[in-house]
Amino acid sequence: MIAVLIAYQGDLVSRLTLGGIAFAIIVAAASLLSYWFFRFQISDDSILIRQGVIKKKQLDIKFDRIQGINTKQNPIYRLLGLVTVSFDTAGSAGNEGNLPAVTRGFADSLRERIGKPRTAEIADDEDSEAKAGALVHLNWLDMIRIGLADRRALIVFAFVGPLMERIDEDIDRYIENFISIAAANGIELDTASGISIGLAIFVAVILLFIIVSIAAAFLRYHNFQLFLDGRTLRSHAGLVTAHEHSMELGKIQTLRLQQGIVQRLLRRYRFTARQAISSGKNRSQKVFVVPVVTAELADTLRKKFLAPEGGRLSQDPTSDRFVSISPHYMRSKVLFIGLLPSLSTAAALSIPLGAAALIFLLWLPAVATMSYRNWKRAGFMHDDQEIIRRSGLLGYRTVGLLFRKVQRVTVSQSRYQRRKGLASLRMYMASGSVRVPYIEHGKAKQLRDYILYKVESSRRAWH
Amino acid sequence: MYLCQIAATGNGAIETTENGMRISGLPYNAVLFSHGATMFENPEIALDELPHTDDLDWERLHPLYARAMRVASAIILTIIAVAITALNFVPKIPLAPVAVLYSLLAIATAVAMTWPGISIQRRGYVLRDKDILFRKGVIWRSVTAIPFNRIQHVETSSTPIDRKFGLATLQLFTAGGSGGDLKIDGLGKDVAESLRVFILNKAGAAIEHA
Repeated sequence: MIAVLIAYQGDLVSRLTLGGIAFAIIVAAASLLSYWFFRFQISDDSILIRQGVIKKKQLDIKFDRIQGINTKQNPIYRLLGLVTVSFDTAGSAGNEGNLPAVTRGFADSLRERIGKPRTAEIADDEDSEAKAGALVHLNWLDMIRIGLADRRALIVFAFVGPLMERIDEDIDRYIENFISIAAANGIELDTASGISIGLAIFVAVILLFIIVSIAAAFLRYHNFQLFLDGRTLRSHAGLVTAHEHSMELGKIQTLRLQQGIVQRLLRRYRFTARQAISSGKNRSQKVFVVPVVTAELADTLRKKFLAPEGGRLSQDPTSDRFVSISPHYMRSKVLFIGLLPSLSTAAALSIPLGAAALIFLLWLPAVATMSYRNWKRAGFMHDDQEIIRRSGLLGYRTVGLLFRKVQRVTVSQSRYQRRKGLASLRMYMASGSVRVPYIEHGKAKQLRDYILYKVESSRRAWH
Repeated sequence: MYLCQIAATGNGAIETTENGMRISGLPYNAVLFSHGATMFENPEIALDELPHTDDLDWERLHPLYARAMRVASAIILTIIAVAITALNFVPKIPLAPVAVLYSLLAIATAVAMTWPGISIQRRGYVLRDKDILFRKGVIWRSVTAIPFNRIQHVETSSTPIDRKFGLATLQLFTAGGSGGDLKIDGLGKDVAESLRVFILNKAGAAIEHA
């Protein structure tokens, strides 16, 4: 076909038309072929997918390996009432299959079929109630909040910030030009209005980024709804392409409530539920996101997520039940990261640099402020089922977990900690580790022993 | 209630103490109090009554392990020494830096020869009914505990030097970790093997029960 195209003698327009037609034919043929060779079969315990025209690929996904089913619906599929189903599988990297263009009803039946054996174990009367309404429903105001809190805008801004200086120079030159032209025409313009033009451009750039991130939030999270069907969590969102994610409650390893600086002003949080990291080459992790919640809503959600055993504690970072960690945390940081390095650097460089080496001493107050803030925000609380750790520098982050889901636990002590009778407790979860630093050694050991007791006497699956 | 507990843990023996009942089949020989216990009540267990991990008898590593570590570092140090000596023959290199390198090498050798003897004192493991504990560290000390019912798989391996001394490394893997989550170097080959079999059995039994 390409040869025909090259051999064809004609003007540009007819060449392009012919090329377009040829391209369309190739695309159509390729999609027909891949459609024809895509076959799948659902057996009692697994789903078999066979695909590929030249390179054949066969996937066998066992139902009990499937962590969750996600669907995606682009605008064309939406018109046709179709969805693309993808499976989250645990620990089988590169073995992620998806089923394009199946009906919504089929996807639902598949979800039910895979979810059923597990939901049947826990027959709750509440299930039917829970099925009725969405747990969370985000409106347009929330979209604006998500957009404002978007970190990417801040990062872009951080990159653009230094560039602004150069842009400013250009603007200055342009403005000078502008003023001189204006003066030539008999209009009086002063430099003050020139500065305001520069400022206006600066503000406009920021506004543009905010608008873009708000638009992105609308695109991704429009009409976000969270449902709980039995023990399966399901979210539905999206303006153009609708995304649907699902996750089993039992798979949750850690719950995380995060708050950046902007979110702090808005009094909102980002709530995520983390699943186990899959082993293998690409260590992927499924994270279930509720992009914007209030602290109260997060607490009601976690009560539902961790029921029946846990969820009694509040993950609200402003809760007064948090126990603070030892101030030695701050002191050791100031000593070992602040004082000693800055003093030794200043001393070592005082010979070549002279008094200028004293500038390295500025490192100390920076470290001191940071470790003070870190210490102020650090804390933990626990009951007999779960523990919540709080940390942060500018914002807040709280991570909650059930004791019985811990994989392994380490109590460690540095020399400094040993002298002060302190220790750090690190709980390794299948989703990553959670550390409670600088608590009393006795407390750390007590918690460790209790965690071991909870894990070893637990008869329930951790995943 | 007690029957219920014992049934859940498999084989357990009950003995009555003045405080209540001591059930030795439970992970910790936990003392359960008999007040207000009904069929499905889960007895409250005070934190103080959980078994402590303080007064444990830590199993030492194989005595030859320190020597194996010294041999391993001696090989590397010899290679470095040869490289430094080779530098001597390269023209236009002043003698002073080479002397500095030699003295650094001497310090490194001194540390590498004494450190294994010190660090091996602090290393040890304890095998309990439901978990394994491993401690290490001279300056930064840590104790890691892995319950058997969280172990995904177990691996033993030995380097050529290990084989020379009849040593092996045991690695325990749990979910979500990268690489070996607990690595016990310097075990006797037979000890590593029997540990591997023991832990696998324990892990398998725990999973079957769950």
